[in-house]
Formats: sequence, structure tokens, C-alpha cells
Amino acid sequence: MTAPVQSPRRAFDIGAPILELESISLRFGGVQALTNISFNVLEHEVRAIIGPNGAGKSSMLNVINGVYVPQEGTIAFRGEQVKGMKPTRAARLGIARTFQNIALFRGMSVLDNIMAGRTLQSRAGFLEVALQLPRARREETANREAAEEIIEFLAIEHIRRTPVARLPYGLQKRVELGRALAANPKVLLLDEPMAGMNIEEKQDMCRFILDVNDHYGTTVVLIEHDMGVVMDLSDRVVVLDYGRKIGDGTPDEVRSNQDVINAYLGVAH
Amino acid sequence: MLFREAGQFHTSYAQDSRLLPLRRDRIRMAILLVAGFLVVPFIANDYWLDAILIPWLTLSLVAQGQNILMGYAGQLSLGSAGFMAAGAFACYNIILRIDGIGFIAAVLLSGVCAALIGIVFGLPSLRVRGLYLMVATLASQFFIVWALNKIEWFTNYDPAGVITAQHIFVLGHEFDTSVEKYLVVLGIVSVLTLLAANMAHGSPGRAWMAVRDMDVAAEVNGLSLLRTKLQAFAISSFYCGVGGALYTYAYLETVEPSAFTIHMSFLILFMALIGGLGTIKGPFFGAAFILFIPIVLNVISNEVFGNAVNLSLLSALEQLIFGVMIIVILIFEPLGLARIWQLFKQRLRLWPFRH
Amino acid sequence: MSDFLFFLEVLIGGLLAGSLYALVALGFVLIYKASFVFNFAQSSFVFFAALSLCGFMELGLPMWAAVPVAISLMVVVGMATERLVLRPLVGQSEETLLMATIGLAFVVEGLAQAVWGVEVRTLDLGVGHHPIEWVMDRWGMLINKFDLVAAIVAWILVAVLALVFSRTKVGRGLRAVADDNSAALSIGIPLSHIWMLVWATAGVVALVAGMLWGARNGVQFALVDLALKALPVLIIGGFTSVPGVVVAGLLVGAFESVTEFYIGPLVGGGIDAWTPYALAVVFLMFRAEGLFGEKIIRRV
Repeated sequence: MTAPVQSPRRAFDIGAPILELESISLRFGGVQALTNISFNVLEHEVRAIIGPNGAGKSSMLNVINGVYVPQEGTIAFRGEQVKGMKPTRAARLGIARTFQNIALFRGMSVLDNIMAGRTLQSRAGFLEVALQLPRARREETANREAAEEIIEFLAIEHIRRTPVARLPYGLQKRVELGRALAANPKVLLLDEPMAGMNIEEKQDMCRFILDVNDHYGTTVVLIEHDMGVVMDLSDRVVVLDYGRKIGDGTPDEVRSNQDVINAYLGVAH
Repeated sequence: MLFREAGQFHTSYAQDSRLLPLRRDRIRMAILLVAGFLVVPFIANDYWLDAILIPWLTLSLVAQGQNILMGYAGQLSLGSAGFMAAGAFACYNIILRIDGIGFIAAVLLSGVCAALIGIVFGLPSLRVRGLYLMVATLASQFFIVWALNKIEWFTNYDPAGVITAQHIFVLGHEFDTSVEKYLVVLGIVSVLTLLAANMAHGSPGRAWMAVRDMDVAAEVNGLSLLRTKLQAFAISSFYCGVGGALYTYAYLETVEPSAFTIHMSFLILFMALIGGLGTIKGPFFGAAFILFIPIVLNVISNEVFGNAVNLSLLSALEQLIFGVMIIVILIFEPLGLARIWQLFKQRLRLWPFRH
Repeated sequence: MSDFLFFLEVLIGGLLAGSLYALVALGFVLIYKASFVFNFAQSSFVFFAALSLCGFMELGLPMWAAVPVAISLMVVVGMATERLVLRPLVGQSEETLLMATIGLAFVVEGLAQAVWGVEVRTLDLGVGHHPIEWVMDRWGMLINKFDLVAAIVAWILVAVLALVFSRTKVGRGLRAVADDNSAALSIGIPLSHIWMLVWATAGVVALVAGMLWGARNGVQFALVDLALKALPVLIIGGFTSVPGVVVAGLLVGAFESVTEFYIGPLVGGGIDAWTPYALAVVFLMFRAEGLFGEKIIRRV
């Protein structure tokens, strides 16, 4: 259990639902990954998705993001249904994410990875970049400025030119967060952002997540195993087990939910 | 000791993001360009220009195309010679049928033709990758050469199926001598290399590398795989096409479609690989190597054996050496000659100290 | 001769050629099944094997002696490949290995021509290259005797190998090695023996294919291009399936032949240079893993 993180007074009040998932079911061949999952995410909140291993948490994020297409169910963003969510569509809506197994661009430096996150902010075509026309140069400088802001925020100035493949695991996860932030997202999906980190790294990551939520108002949906982190960080929690939702509420409510306790203790059901 | 980086402070992002942020690099590039444009024409003889520098420059451009597609965008392709042919024949037909069009415009237009063909044959990249994609590009290679052979309009109904490059006219002035052709080629190659460097360094390059490294994450960040991959194919084919046109007009002068064989596609791939994938200077190193070996072999065999050596033995040895070099590079320095050069420069910087 | 009989003649000609494509493709499948490496150089091995055979015979060996010598040479080439090319690159990406085998192709081709020279050789296998008389008399169809015999040899070889793979202890050992090297070692499967066997078999396949193609078209460098046609066969049939490459080989051969004879004259002929590849592309767009291959699943 990590030391409690003191979060400053909330700057953005929790608002209307920004993401609504209705009756999502997902199958891979014979394997039922998700069954009839419904929950929502309110704007500016920190929503945790927890559950034992194999519960379908990553699959849930993949569905929100459009990487997996659910056989049944709907996704609504800001009240409007999105038919056929695809990763590029999700990106355009303002949903960014990190991956459990780190999906950084291994051949590029930290700076390039983060600037790659600014793709949707660039209007200049390849010809403009080739000829270094004014709009291309302005955008490149703007991208660089935005990336540097994030680099400063995440305290990774000293490694900005390092190829990401050479970085230790904890720093790679931080860079991946940076890349997701570069897109100025409205919703940030984090898949186990603190997996494999030691106490200090976890505290740093918690701080970053809280700051992002607080200073930029970014809605955060995160998958996390560390209960202490979940209890401290999140406003509300969804609990999954074997692809079904077994709990939904504030951390305290969920903590005292018997079904949730059973799932974690492995009680047969 | 010979190089100093200390003492250069950038005060703006624009300064820091330049292609050559260090002053010593800018000075070296300037010297190189001055030497290329102003010194070489006066000191090089025709043999050096015609048989070495011109093919080196034009093939470097083709290898650059291969590098953009394979090194930056990660798409395996064996179709480069086909796109060279497309560019060469497009140029021939453009100059033939459009009166008074200047050479530069014709070359650029033929590059565009090659680019359009590249987009069509790049479509399989949306479904497959790696070896599968490579086989699909073989389809483009064989088809393009067949089409250029069979559709006689392309060779202007020449009975031998051969085209003879017209003379090069830029702004009304004829560029006929070796020096003049060299300057035209050097000019075009320099400018296009600069454009490629700008692209590789900026958002297109990042997009390509993102698709190469992790396409799911690229999509999640908003990159359209379709647009990025097809763009890579288009730009790569443009470079191969322009290179092919220059290769034909400044070097071969008479050519038939079957000259652009799959063997040549392999050699272009080797140039990009040996030189260093994913670097702008790599193709120049690679092309130099591939052109260099036959010359060296020739010289050695003439010295040691006189003129008695079988030509086909020499070409077999060339092939053997190329193959061995590929394997050696992949095992010991996958980043190619460009990386070896970079390490050498670093050594030089610290010299006489070891580290 | 009626239209239908002409079509049949064209079709059968294609199927016979396709059987040989399948044989070449088999060499690729063997190595891929055993080591998950795609040996691009297999086409060059075909050329190398046939050329070496001719070379040994020119040095005075009769064919029945030259064949085993050629086979041993192929084993040596295979072992050298495994030791000098594949082992140093263990764990590298698929693309790197592919590039390395392309380099290997050049090495093998260069070596073959440096040692044995570039003249075209003829190879006489004792079977005549003429139409089978009674077929000609009965139906008026031209079916080349050599082609038929070659196809039968190819089928027999394929069948034998398929049986060995699936039924025998050796075959199981091979599949175990392909799945997991260390696991196979830990249950006592001798890795180096298995490798030797795989490469020897691939070498034999290459030699037989080289002899058949070489006797048909002459042993010359163009054999490599012909053998490259095995690539579309592999795409269509899947890299891991022996029945797959057989069906695909027949399909490619038939397609190539029929389109060349029926569509070819309309566009100037010679379309068999690219039709197999075009067919492969069509397959790639709709069924990327081939007819019988394993579906490629990527986990995120």
C-alpha cells in the first residue's frame, strides 16, 4: 500500500457523463471476454477499473478505444452514440491511451515519441514539410513547445534525445504517458500505468495522474491492481470479474461489496 | 580533438530542430556542396563523371526511395527497379509528346507518374506486411516490366523495343557534355535529398516510423495507416522514378524495359540495407559500396591476372561478395555503413584519447 | 481438336508444371516448419544443386554417384547456413532473418557460378521430352511425357515427406523442435541431428526439383526466377502446410497456363511472368494466411 497522496483542492468539478457504455459484450472465437457490461464515466473524474487477472479489464479499454469491436453494445461520447469506434476515430474524439505492455515507438527518441502524439494537431502536408514552408515550420515549433511542456511536467528533460528502447521500464511508462498527453486528450485511458514500478516511481506516477486530472481537467480511466492507489486516486470504481461487472461506485462502497471481496479472495461462485 | 561541439547554445526551438544543428556539420555540408558543384567539374575527367559519379548519384536517389519505404516506413519492397523503369519511360514519353517541356519539369512529372503507380501497388500493404508484402511488390516489378515491353506505345513502336534518351534541355540550354549532365544530376539529387531529409526529420518521418514500429499505437495516436502507408509508397516510388529517369538520361542513354530486372531491385535493397536503413546519408554509402566492389574487383583482377579473367567469373564473385556483406552487416552492424561512419567520427572526436 | 480437349491439354500442362512449383515450395515449407525461418535462398539452392550435379558429372562421376555427392554438398550448405547465418541472428526480427536469407541467395548463386561457370548445361534423365503417343493418337492432346513423369516424381516425394512428417517419430521430433527448441532439448531430442535432417531433406528436395526443371529447361541461371514462382505458391498455400502447397502449386500452375493460353494472345503474351504473383496478391487481400495456413493473431 502506497503512502497516501495529498491531492490539492479540485479545480474542475465532476460533470456530465462523457463516456457511456451500454451492454457491451465481446467474444474471441469461443472465449467470452466481456458480458453485458454497462457503466459510465463522468467528465473530469478519475474512474478506476479493477478486478482479478483475466477479468477483461484491458479488453474493456480496447473496446472504448476501438481496438476491439464488441459484438453487442454501444458506446456514447458526450451523449452521442459512436457507431463503429476505431482507434483513429477515438483519437479524433479526444481519447488517448497507454498500453499495458508499453507500445512506444522503439526506433525513435523520447522527444520524437511525444511529438508523434501531436499528430492530430498538425495540418501541414508532407510537401509543406519537405519544402519547409511557413505553416510547416510554425507547426513544428508549436509541436516542439507542446512536447517540451510535457517533458518538463514529467521531469524527463535529461533523456529527451535518448532512444526509448534504451530506457528503463519505469521511464518508458512515463514517456508513454507523455505521448498520450501530447494529444491534449479529453479522456485518458491508462492500462496499468504503475505495473512493475517501485514505491517512489508509483508515487511519482500518482502525482502525475492527479496533476493531469486537476490542472488540465482530463478525465482519467485507469486499470490498476494496487488497491491503495485505487482508493486514493479514484472518484469512482468499476469492478469486473470473468468479464462481468460486479461492482460500481465510490471506493468505499466497492470495498465493502461482498461480491467484490469474494472475487478477490477466490471464493467459488 | 578534431571536432568540437562545446560552446554552441541554441536559443530557440527552431534552431534546435534544424537538420544540422551543429555548426561544424553545416560547415562540412557547405564544403561538400561547394566541392561537388564548383571543384569536381574542373578536376574530374569524363570517366569519373560518367562511370562513377553520375551512376552513384542517381542510384543513391533510387536507394533513398527504397530507404524511405523500407527504412522509415518499414514496408518491405522488391519493386524498386520496376518504379525506376516507370520513371524512365514516363520521362521519355513526356519529353517526346509534350513539346518544349524542360527536362526538370519532365523528370518531376515522371516521378509523379511513378508515385501514382506506387500507390496502386502499395495497396496490399494495408492487409499484409513482411514477406507477404515483399511477394506482392514482386507482382508490381514483373507487371510493370511486362507492360512496358508489351504496350508498344511506351517505346514509341521501336522495333527493337528500346528507347533512346533525348537530349537534356534545361531552360533552353542543352546539357550535353559529361560535366553538364553531372551538374544537372547533382542539382536534382541535392534538392531531392534535402526534401527527403526535411520530411524524415519532421512529422511525415515520425508518422512513417510510428507505423513501422507499432502500428496499433500509431492508430491510437490518430495516424491513418492507409494514408501513411500509401504516402510512403507514393513518395518512395517518386524517388525511384526520378532516379530511374536520371539513370537513363544521364547514364545509360539507351535502355529497354527488361534492363530493370529483379536483380536490380535486389541491388537497390542491398544499397539501402548496407548503407544504413533509416538514415538519409545511408543510401549514398550503400550505393557507393555496390558500385565500388565491381570496380575494385576489376582493378585487382587486371593487376593480378592481366586481361585473362573471365567476366562472368567476376560478376559471380561480385554477387558472392554482396551476399556475404549483407549477412555480415546484419550480424555485426545492422545499422549499416552510416552507423560505422558515425562511430568513426565519435572516435575521431575523442582522439587521441580512447574514451 | 475440340475446344474442350484443348482446354484440357492446357490445363493438364499447367497442373504438371504446378506440381514442380509445389516441389520447390516444399523445400521452403520444410525449413519453415522446423525453424520458423523463411529461407529465401531455397530457390537458389535449387539452382546450386542442379548445377553442382552437372559439375560433378562433368568431372567424371556417373549420375548414380554424382547424386549422393550433390546431396552431401547440399547438407554441408545447409549446415553452414545454420551455423554461420541463422545462429548468429537468433532472436532477431523476422525481417532481419528474411534479409539474411536474401543475402544467402546471392552467396549461393555467386558461389555456384564462380565454381561451375555460367554455361547452360543440359541434363538427360533418360525420359524423352516428347508428347505421349497414345494420348496424341487417341485424343489429339499434347501431353509431354517428361512433364508427366516429373509431376509423378514430385507427387511421390511430397507424399513420402508428408507421411514422414506426420506419422514417424522423426516427424514428431521435427515439429517439437519447431515449436520450442529448449523444450525439445529438455526431453532429449538431439537438436543438431534434427537440423541436419531438415537441411538434408530440403537439399534433396532442391536437388530433385533442380534436376527435373533443369532437364526440362536447361540448367541455367533462369532456373532461379522459375523457382521464385514458388513464392506465390507459398502465399496461397500457407507456409506451414504441405497439402497446402500441393493444392496451391496445382492452382498456380493451372492458372498460369490457362490465362497465358486464353488471355495471353489478347494482350501480347508472356503474362505468365506475373500472373502467379497477381493471383497471390488477390489471395492476400482476401485470405492473408493462405488456403491452409494458420491465422495470424496479434495480441495487443
